Parts: sequence; C-alpha cells; structure tokens
Amino acid sequence: MNLLQAWVATPGATALGWTLVHSLWEGALAALFLAAALRGMRSAPARYAASCAALVLLAAGFAFTFAREMPAPAHVAVQPTVAHRIPGPPAGLGDPSEAAPRGSLGYLPWLAPLWMAGVLAFQLRGVAAWMGARRLRGTGVCVPPGLWRARLDQLVQRARISRRVVLLESCLAEVPVVIGYLRPVILLPVGLLAGLPAAQVEALLLHELVHIRRHDYLVNLVQMFVEGLLFYHPAVWWMSAVIRAERENCCDDVVVATQGDAYGYASALAALEERRAVAGDAVLASTGGSLVKRIRRLLAQPEGPRAGLTPVFSAVLLTVTLVGAMAAYQTRPPAAAAAPQLVPVAAPAAVPQPAPAPAPAAPVQVAQVQPPVRSASPGEAPRADASQASPLGTPYRKWLNEDVAYIITDAERAAFKALPSDAEREHFIQQFWERRDPTPGTAENEFKEEHYRRIAYANEHFSPASGSLSGLPGWKTDRGRIYITFGPPDEIDSHPSGGAYQRPPAEGGGTTTTVPFEQWRYRYIQNIGTNVIIEFVDPSGTGEYRMTSDPMEKDALAGGANAMRTGATVQMVGSNGVQLSVPLDRYSDHQVSVSVRIVAAGGRVVNEFENPVQGQVAFSRFLAVAPGSYRLSVAVKDMTAGTVASDVIPLEVK
Amino acid sequence: MLVVISSYMASELPRPTDAELEILTVLWSRGPSTVRDVHEAVAVRKPTQYTTVLKMLQIMAEKGLVRRNEKQRAHIYEAARPREWTQRQLAGDLLQRAFNGSAKSLMMGALSARKASKEELSELRRLLEEYEKGTR
Repeated sequence: MNLLQAWVATPGATALGWTLVHSLWEGALAALFLAAALRGMRSAPARYAASCAALVLLAAGFAFTFAREMPAPAHVAVQPTVAHRIPGPPAGLGDPSEAAPRGSLGYLPWLAPLWMAGVLAFQLRGVAAWMGARRLRGTGVCVPPGLWRARLDQLVQRARISRRVVLLESCLAEVPVVIGYLRPVILLPVGLLAGLPAAQVEALLLHELVHIRRHDYLVNLVQMFVEGLLFYHPAVWWMSAVIRAERENCCDDVVVATQGDAYGYASALAALEERRAVAGDAVLASTGGSLVKRIRRLLAQPEGPRAGLTPVFSAVLLTVTLVGAMAAYQTRPPAAAAAPQLVPVAAPAAVPQPAPAPAPAAPVQVAQVQPPVRSASPGEAPRADASQASPLGTPYRKWLNEDVAYIITDAERAAFKALPSDAEREHFIQQFWERRDPTPGTAENEFKEEHYRRIAYANEHFSPASGSLSGLPGWKTDRGRIYITFGPPDEIDSHPSGGAYQRPPAEGGGTTTTVPFEQWRYRYIQNIGTNVIIEFVDPSGTGEYRMTSDPMEKDALAGGANAMRTGATVQMVGSNGVQLSVPLDRYSDHQVSVSVRIVAAGGRVVNEFENPVQGQVAFSRFLAVAPGSYRLSVAVKDMTAGTVASDVIPLEVK
Repeated sequence: MLVVISSYMASELPRPTDAELEILTVLWSRGPSTVRDVHEAVAVRKPTQYTTVLKMLQIMAEKGLVRRNEKQRAHIYEAARPREWTQRQLAGDLLQRAFNGSAKSLMMGALSARKASKEELSELRRLLEEYEKGTR
C-alpha cells in the first residue's frame, strides 16, 4: 500500500489523472463530430473510415495529452505538498468533478492506478480471446470435401488474396468465422456445406474472404487494444460498435456487388441465424437487432429514422464535455487548460475525410436497371408522354414474352413495359444484349447467339408429338424452359420407353416399372447449386415431358388407387421439431427399411436418412427442423417381401 | 474445480477428447462413414495411421460416442449424438465457455456474436417474404 501511495504521489500519476479527465471531453467531442459527420454519409466504406479515424484520433489525443501533462519542472516543485494531503480511499471513476475539487489535485492521481487495473483486465481479456481463437482453429475441425476446397481456391483467386486461406469445418463454430491474420482460417459450422444451397454457401465464404482482403482481423486487434486502453469512455464503445457494424456492411456490399443477388444473400444470413437458433439454447433479451438492420439494408428498405445519435446520448455527451472542461478550467492555470483543446479542434478536419472506398471485387452485371418503373402497373401503358407514347407492338411483345421470357429479370421486364416509344424499346433491347455480352466491344455477342441457338434447339427437340393435349411449342415445354435457362445439361439419363428402373435407396430402393422419364444433371448452376438433378416425366407417353420434383412420380405402380401408403404421421413438437411416426405392425417380423427425406421449399435436402428396422410395431423419430415449408417423403421397404410403400407429406413448421 | 464438476453434469456420455472430437466432426460432416473415409479426411490435415483411426473408432464405439453398423462387410460408423447435443454438452465446460466467449470478439464472423431473439427471427422472415412478394 505504501508503495502504491508513493507511486500515486509521482508526477506521472498526476499527469495520467489529468489525461484521463481531459480524455472525457476530448472523446465526447470526437463522438459528437463523428455523429454529425455520419449523418451526412450513406456509403458503408465512408462511414467505416470516418469511425476508424475518430477512434485513432481519440487514442492519439490521449497520448498527446499525456505528453503535454507530463511534468514540466515547475509542477514537480508543487507535487510533494500535494502528496502529503492524500488520504485513504480512491475516488470512483465515474465522477471526475468530485475527484478534482477546486484548487487542489485531491483524489485525482488515484485515477491512474484504477485506470491501470482496468487496462490490465481488458488486455487480459484480449489475450484470452486470442488463446480461445487459437484453440478453436485446432479443435473439433476437419477438412471439407475436396470440391469445396477447390471452390474456395477459385474464390480466393477471384478476390485477389495472396495469402493462403484454409477452409475447415468446425463442430464448435456456430457461424462462419475467420481466425488469424497471417495464416487465415475460415471455419464453417459442420453441416453448413450440405445444409445450404451452394450459391448461399459461396456468398458466405465470399463475405469471409472480403474480411481477409480488407485486413479486418488486424484492424480488429488494434481496435480491441484501443478499447482496452480507453475502456472507461462510452464514446469509445459507441465508435467501436459503429466500426463493427459498418465493417459487416462493407463486406455485405462487396458480396452483393460480386454475386448480384441481394435476396439470396439475405436469405443465407437469415438461414444461418435460424440454424444457430435451433442449435443453441434460447436467447433471453433482445436489443439492437443488428442482423435485422443489415438485412433491411441489403434489401434496401426504408429504415425509419436514421440511427445517428439519440437525443439522450447527445445530452449525456454534452454534459460530460462541459463537466470535464469546467473541471479542467477550475483546477488548472488558464494557459495549461487551453492547451489540450488543440486536439479536438483538429477533429472536424480529420473526421469527414474518409479513405477512398475499396472497389468491389467484380462489376455488377445485371442490376443496372433503374427502379422507378415499379410505379406503373404491369401491362398498363405509361402516361408519361402521351404524344409519343405507342402501345407495346407485336414484335416487341413477342420479344418480351417469347425471346427473352426466361432470362429477363423482373426489374428489366417492368422497365421495358414502361418504355413509351419503339425507339426506346429498340435501344433497350440493344442494351439488354450488350449487358450480357461476355466480350463487350466485339461485333459478336456470344450470349445472344447461344440464347437463340438454345431456343431453336428446344423447338426442334422438345416439341411433343401431334397427339399431345396442349401442342405446346418446344420452347414452352418444361424441358425447353430448363434448356434455354440453364443450357445443355452435363448429363442426360433418358428412359424414353420407361420400363424397369432400379430405384436408389432414397426413393425406396428395389425395382419398379416407370413411365418414360428423363433425368438431367447439371454439375453446377449459379445461384442454385452443384450437382443439380432435374427430372421430367411423360405420363401420357406423348413426348410432352413435365418437370417433377417428386421422384415417385415416374413410378407407374405408385400413384392412383393401387399405391401403397405407409400411414406415416407427423406431429409438431415444440417450435422447431416434428415427431415422425410410421406404423410397422403390418410387416410383423420382416426386415424393413425406413427411408426419410425432407426437402425444403427451395429444393434443398434438409435431412435424409435410412434406417433398418425389424420386428417393431412402429418407427418413430424426432426430427429437428427449422421453421419453413418442407416436403417430407417416407418410404418403407419390406426387404423380405420386396414391397415398397411411400408417402409424401407436406410440412409447415412455424 | 468448477470445470471438473460441470463436465459431468451434462449427461452420462463422457465428454469427447480433442482427438475424438475431430473424428466426430468428420462423421457429422460426411455422415455415416467407413474407417477408410474417416482416415482419409483426418489424414489430409495431419498424417495419421489407418490403424490409429480404427482403434479410436473402436474405443469411441465402446464409450457410446459412435454407433457401428455391421450389416455390410466394411463397418460403417455414425455419430451417436447430433452435433447440437455435443455442442451443448461442451458448452457446460466453463473454461471453454469463457475462452469461446471472449474469442468471439476477436473473430470475424458473418453474424454478430449475439444471437437473434425469436422476435428478430420472425421479423427477418417477414422482411424476406415481403421482399419476395414485392418482386415476383
């Protein structure tokens, strides 16, 4: 204790005490300036740079003030008399005005050891975080399948990152995270790769890669250090929170600019949050709602009042500023009190100068159409310029509804319909193809040529025989639509005459008789996924294949009256699970296999398993399912008798 | 002391060691797998003998951490409990929790460290649905 008292009596402790008091109003001022600057800023990189600048300024101001406060020889002479009057307990941190009564230094130097203890605690927290992160990247991890490792390497190259990035699946991470700066590792929660559509996984990977490219891990380390240094200041925590939020926004923007699908990305984030909610324990309180804000921002919906400074916070900051400044004035000779003001005066000049925004990784290809078109209702001729306006003529209507029906975006369609004259329509069509030209500047437009080739191919090959009911042209059939939209599949498994078909286990296994069907396999479709299999059936045998998402539909035996049903029932249990029960009493002691598959509305398989059972009255299983709509397919295969019963149950989890 | 007590509170199943956790992760990632599959996945990260993996899987089957399906010639192993369950079991470890809790502030995650509440989740769904209705 004596040692501490002796140390507190040193000029260094006094200087530190003053620095802490001054930093209160310095920080408050910097926060006010930042808040004012942010009101005028929309772009995430600018807001991020401004907040970072404010935080750096605050830390620099702290160092600068301390340097100024450090003893000039005159102060040293005063010190001893002050030190003798120091009584016992230290003052609370939160009340600087009390700690520095008029005309004496009082408790002020005691702020220094308290502050140091706080800094120590916060920096220890930082060390613990670092150790925890190190542990996480080495425990409970495994390499993902090679396909994904290769995909990551591609993304790393596209993002122009020179460091080697390692992708691992982790059973401890709840969301995708980046750990490490020099040797960055991306951890994905195990099961995510299989549980989300490939395009969404890619969007999430891209988000993490943008963090790596922006050196966010390093910046965050520095940020945590400053937080620990100025831990007592609410302005620091506020700035830090702004930096964190804008950092995510910056990454979100790059992902959307690169992939061009804000909705898909927003869904991926929401799906991630839902997975986490299902996995972990309940969350009690809700404040802030950062993800809701982010998704609002992604979908560009009006956000209500801009989240700048709330009036209460502003008032608190102002009070702190005034109290700090007054305390400084009353206890210091005027000259010295005026000096630290140099720091915040520099603030307004430095804060609103954001560093140039980092350019997105790749230019956006599609989203160039202006939104105001939504005001005109579809089909209605716009009133804009009545003298020149002409209705949508036949060739243009055909262009819209036949030529590009499958590839035009909703925004483009609306924009086209809103155009008043043929000249503008011509121009739009030209622009439409140019936007998609893979080699702009050349005479050829490979995209356009390929598109019309696909239409011709579809009309030639997919037009049903004359006996078909609808007599659709080839491009309008399901196969035509898929062919024109996604191009030729990588593989076609065609069974034009149906016949015997070896069912894979997921469809119940065994052999059955089918109507004619085709399976098209695409190795990769952007925004949909890898290894996409699309099945078409032709129940009428006329060559008019229909797309189906039910693998049982080609089964000539199933469907209709003679289909065997499993009698399975599904019951909601709690908010995120269902209890599946399949009666098995009719199989007595036969060897039975129960296969279950749950497919979400978007077509992704959420859960799939096969269970051998013997001699049981019923099979029941609890299935954890996140809220949403699904189709649950159950098949019970009697291994002994060779029969199969199946059911498809629509599932609505709320 | 607390750590020791809490690790046995979660259940009758023993808490997996780090090495066991790695194998479980492979099984959760790949689904039911043969020893060869598991060995292949583990060996990419660090050189491991096939027999080591086999031995570990046998021990884990004895402990009840994994289930063995002996129907086919190559035995198929499957994690006995879902990942979420084991995650909760591990979260009972206070030391682990303290580490992971503070580590979150350091890591760059796609989501904030704080989980969303039920209300926020339904708000998210509403936003997405509205957007979908607005454009399609």
